[in-house]
Amino acid sequence: MTTTTFSPIFTVRLRPWLGIASLAAAIVATYMALIWAPPDVTQGDVQRIMYVHVPTAWLAYLAFVVVFLASIGWLWSKKVWFDAVAVASAEIGVLFTGMTLVLGSIWAKPTWGVWWTWEPRLVTTAVMFCMYVGYLLLRSLSSDFERRATRAAVIGVVAVVNVPIVHLSVTWMNSLHQLPTVLRAGGEPTLDGRMLATLLVGVFAFTVIYAYLLAARVEIELDRRRRQEA
Amino acid sequence: MTSAFGRTLLVAGREIRAERRAPDGLVAAVTFTAVLVLLESLVVGPGTVRAPQIAAALFWIALLFAAILAAARSFDRELEEDAIDAVIALEGGRDALYGGKALALVGLLGLVAAVGLLLSIALLDLSVALAGHLALVVVLGVVALPPIVVLDVALTLRLRARAMLVPILALPMLVPQLVAATQGSAAAMTGDATGALGWSGLLLAFALVYAVLGLTIVPAAIE
Repeated sequence: MTTTTFSPIFTVRLRPWLGIASLAAAIVATYMALIWAPPDVTQGDVQRIMYVHVPTAWLAYLAFVVVFLASIGWLWSKKVWFDAVAVASAEIGVLFTGMTLVLGSIWAKPTWGVWWTWEPRLVTTAVMFCMYVGYLLLRSLSSDFERRATRAAVIGVVAVVNVPIVHLSVTWMNSLHQLPTVLRAGGEPTLDGRMLATLLVGVFAFTVIYAYLLAARVEIELDRRRRQEA
Repeated sequence: MTSAFGRTLLVAGREIRAERRAPDGLVAAVTFTAVLVLLESLVVGPGTVRAPQIAAALFWIALLFAAILAAARSFDRELEEDAIDAVIALEGGRDALYGGKALALVGLLGLVAAVGLLLSIALLDLSVALAGHLALVVVLGVVALPPIVVLDVALTLRLRARAMLVPILALPMLVPQLVAATQGSAAAMTGDATGALGWSGLLLAFALVYAVLGLTIVPAAIE
């Protein structure tokens, strides 16, 4: 038997504050990305897309790791809250992965001369996108709540393997894609100070936006579940 | 009292007996692989298809779809005769069902791979520099696919859209295995022993990780 009892702090009390923080962080990040950060020596202003592209990719990783943790939570405890977090995070993850692919394409055209090329980072990211679309498809095609949540949780646990594969694909295989410049094994970030600061503010802004969207979507999912139970 | 491994062997044995009595899953998988091998040279061109990377990639994709066909047929047989309910009702039945199905699929896929490999070598006139290494890669590739294929088929059990969902779920999940099997096979064909052994090790690791993961979480989702 499942239960919809959950702590409302995250979804109800924190959500308005997360909304305000998201807006403020987005304004600061936009100013820094478009005005404060210097243009790249070789790429010029095209490089500024990195301030959105990298945070969306980071958010996709984070979202799918949250799906993994929430899936384990569901399999362990059968608490509805975990399933709601899993579905909310998967939807946001798919959205951000799609944005990563589109933004990457927009950057690739003036830089590489093509919208798409068959290189490991792009292909593994597209594969990850397809896998989580499959996850959402599996959810939408199952009618019984508990079965749907359990099936989806199994996929949520297995599919997380994609996250390290996508991140490390550029170091494992010959790749056109830029190697990691911030989270790299070799030492400190290889990025100009102002560029790095802008990137980190962008990552922070997108993380707050993710938390806001997650809180809103979890609330919707729990409301839906309550109505079904009533 | 039968042990967990004993129960798994029982299910695998039952599966193989059912396949021997009515080998529709095996026939479908072998026919599918043979048709793909025949079509390869027509579609890709006889010169291109002999390139080790292309031949290996097409072989493993064919084998993956054959595995999906065979696993789906195996679960269909259970559903048609309502046998699955009896197995699930037994103590440890779900674990035995997942493990047994995966084990039986390894055996069945081994046959399909042997036929597909012989057909590929004979019809496409492939040259194999390191036959022993190729055999090792094929054996480990055959072991690495079933844990994920059976997982996906089991998760979509009793869903009307199963035929559509299984490839959508299985193909992205099996990308690492497909890459390792393709690169390993191509390395064995071109005489790169170190490459073939390296990819074989990776396939073994995938097989172990996914088998353990599958046995830990999939049984809970079998209905």
